[in-house]
Amino acid sequence: MRYDSITEAIGNTPLVRIDPAVHGLRNIDLYAKLEMLNPFGSVKDRPAWHMARPHLEDAAEGEGTVVELSSGNTAKALALLAGMHGMRFKSVTNRMRVPEIKELLLLLGAEIEELPGRSECLDPTDTDDPLTHFHRTLSEPGNTYLHTDQYFNPRNVEAHAEGTGPEIVKDLDGRAPDWFVACVGTAGSSTGVARVLREHDPEVRVLGLVAHKSDFIPGIRTIDEVHQVGLFDPATYDTIESVTSGEAIDGMLTLVRRCGLLTGPTGGAAYQGAVRHLGAVDAALEGSGRRETAVFIVCDRAESYLSYVRARRPELLGRASRGPTLATLTEEEVRAGGRSATVDEARRRLTEGDPRPLVVDLRSPHAYAALHIEGSVNIVDELFEELVRGGLPFAKRTPVLLACPVGERSLRYAALLARMGHPDVRSLAGGIVAWRDAGAPLVRE
Amino acid sequence: MDVPLYLRPRVDPPLASLLGAAPFLRSLVDALGSPLNVLLPESVAANAERFRAVYRRHHLAGRVYFAHKANRSSALVRRLAAEAPAAVGVDVASLDELRHALSCGFTGDRVMATGPKDREFLWLAARVGATVNLDSVRELEQLAGLVRKYGLSRVDVLARLSGFESAAGHGGAGTRMLSRRSRFGTPAGEVEGLLAAVERHADAVELTGLAYHLDTTGLEEKGRALEQCVLLMDRCRARGLAPRAVDIGGGFGVGYVADAEEWERWTTALSEAVLGGRPPLTWRGHGYGLRNEGGTVRGSVALYPGHRPDAGPGYLDELLSLPAPVLGRGPGTLLLEHLHDLHIEPGRSLVDQCGLSLARVLDVRRTGEDSETYLVRLGMNAGDVSLEEHGVLVDPVLLPRGGPEEDDEGPVGVHLVGNLCLEADLITRRLVFLPRLPRAGDLLAFVNTAGYAMDFHAHHAQRQPLARTVAVEKEGDSWRWCLDEDYWPITHPGGTPA
Repeated sequence: MRYDSITEAIGNTPLVRIDPAVHGLRNIDLYAKLEMLNPFGSVKDRPAWHMARPHLEDAAEGEGTVVELSSGNTAKALALLAGMHGMRFKSVTNRMRVPEIKELLLLLGAEIEELPGRSECLDPTDTDDPLTHFHRTLSEPGNTYLHTDQYFNPRNVEAHAEGTGPEIVKDLDGRAPDWFVACVGTAGSSTGVARVLREHDPEVRVLGLVAHKSDFIPGIRTIDEVHQVGLFDPATYDTIESVTSGEAIDGMLTLVRRCGLLTGPTGGAAYQGAVRHLGAVDAALEGSGRRETAVFIVCDRAESYLSYVRARRPELLGRASRGPTLATLTEEEVRAGGRSATVDEARRRLTEGDPRPLVVDLRSPHAYAALHIEGSVNIVDELFEELVRGGLPFAKRTPVLLACPVGERSLRYAALLARMGHPDVRSLAGGIVAWRDAGAPLVRE
Repeated sequence: MDVPLYLRPRVDPPLASLLGAAPFLRSLVDALGSPLNVLLPESVAANAERFRAVYRRHHLAGRVYFAHKANRSSALVRRLAAEAPAAVGVDVASLDELRHALSCGFTGDRVMATGPKDREFLWLAARVGATVNLDSVRELEQLAGLVRKYGLSRVDVLARLSGFESAAGHGGAGTRMLSRRSRFGTPAGEVEGLLAAVERHADAVELTGLAYHLDTTGLEEKGRALEQCVLLMDRCRARGLAPRAVDIGGGFGVGYVADAEEWERWTTALSEAVLGGRPPLTWRGHGYGLRNEGGTVRGSVALYPGHRPDAGPGYLDELLSLPAPVLGRGPGTLLLEHLHDLHIEPGRSLVDQCGLSLARVLDVRRTGEDSETYLVRLGMNAGDVSLEEHGVLVDPVLLPRGGPEEDDEGPVGVHLVGNLCLEADLITRRLVFLPRLPRAGDLLAFVNTAGYAMDFHAHHAQRQPLARTVAVEKEGDSWRWCLDEDYWPITHPGGTPA
């Protein structure tokens, strides 16, 4: 397929049936609408383009900044679209909670502005929220901001009412599904799709999924937060239910490992929420001879959420290692195998030792540059751990003195190196702090 | 009526045990009047120890300075004065707080003078060898002038900095983290001018460290400021100065509400009430900063986050463990590696669970003729427990006069109103649910008021009585008490040597 612009590739995403052996629903056909296959990687490509298009096509090349309250996929799509049109993009957000997305946005040339956290010493009469300042900036005369306003812009809904919704109907041979399941973020996709499906069949039931209140699922709002969304209308949904991040990851794992769908946690939440809700529906259909269909949205891909998963299910991303490592060393092995030298001993060995011991300072380069033992080399502990993973990094003939701030980490490394066969590794007892407190000399770089 | 929307307080064992001693508390109110403040000096020492434990975990040296402004009590300050001098100090923000701290047994070298300072405050701080937390170059010049004019010894100073966001230019390109503007401190971008002034006045002052205090619950903002300080400390050293400590101020927070679910249910209900989807949860439908604009909730909720599982020492631990944006190490590791001491100035969190405020129920009547809710008038006013003033929402504990009665009708919604002849004198604007309807003569105990909520806003309007304050201590199964001003850490309340 040949295109003049990547924006032509937005939309017309596949609708894929989920194997019943995976979801276990006997009387319901469950389909995934793969919005993750849009060119910028998510369901937000549609509204981003639809909202920004009229402005971008009018704007003079190289002038102005597209600005949006987004810490995720909308920001990503807008950054790319703005770049294509020679404009800048600025994302204003409470907190970038997914580090990979933040880095990706920076890579795309976006500017990120993070709003301040909540006041600790609260003044209840100050109800001026940070967003007020944001809107004030936008309305200043002479500014060149183009605010796409995804939470209030009707073009967000339109993008789905004209694209996503009709595509689903077409792929189901002109029929609306009995169930539509959507995670509620800006409410754009659920509102737009629901509108079109109901035009075809008023009986369509819509399940809206929100994040469990104290929990965080990227791109989904909690029940309180949805009330702050201008596009959100409770009447759109027959049911609103909440899902946890645990369920989102469970759903993601099922789709990733069994269905070949490389979804992120939001798609996982939609799947898990759908199967949970439809379980009872399926039981009621049993024996009635009727079949129903359900569609849920897979809104983006898995790769950007590794740290999200790591923070919640570290065991899924566990790394195996070979040989002794710092982590596998027991406290007893450290006590038995780690030898240390007091500040006095260490100073004596440094002046009288033959050969003189090699001093390895395990602190960060900045701290090392600020103050260190003369003649020491700096290998920051993280690098040192990597280094010794591959074997002993110095000759056994060279005595070694390891130094860290208080002599705790260095003792662990001393024990580790001893176990790896080095005959003369000492840890500086009490570390650089004790060295300083004893009045021993430290130099600056 | 809905299921009662409780916000029941978090009550740790010492306070729980005190609440269990209802006859004791009643006798105190009978003798000393309503309102009455009750303090547990041993709990403040236990809290200091919890902060110290975080220091130990991160191998850090430095002091925990109690932010005196959180509570005027003598008992708390005297109890802290008895702690290890190298571990615990006091942060004073006025001439009188300084005088009070000294009279409670703190020596000058354990005192940190912060906030806006007049000449007398500066002189006394310099005179007794306190550390002066400098607000500006101007204040530095004023202090140096006093030192020379009155022949005082060289004064230890910390430079308080602010405005870290603009100074963070060399890290995190493309990202700007905004912070609330502060009226205190020297902008980090103007630090060179401040350091030059410190060098100019080297005969009068010695820079012992850098300080900041950010008004935010955001860990990242604080982590960034701390890292900036570490970088700036290095610039000080490069200039030949020898600062040793980074003072990160306070703001570690307190969890007031015990149960996360209650807090979440109530705040969700608030949004619904603002949208008109349920009856108001507050007096006259107050929205605590939220408003209804065409069916959408706008504004931000001006409430202290009631349920905070990670507050106090736990928050400090989390802050020290956070990865720093530029240097990549956690703040705790950074401080340690650079051989810096850490000073903190907790107020609210250091007096967490250290006291309660008691009020007698004076009158109970229905809000309207057919109303299911009641007005409960108390022998105190909004100034006596300034929870509302700080956006803190939490239920009081009902201590009935007699035992529970047969005809108890179960949970009931009440509006707690004060003793002033003033429409606005509400103890809280929230409709409070109590397990049963109080009767005149019952006591309500507002738990955990020692931080800012006990005497910070208390006043003498309408000649209503100010609360007396007592210190209490458990001895076996009974409780001993004395007036706050009579408490000394070497004597058990009641007079026997400790």
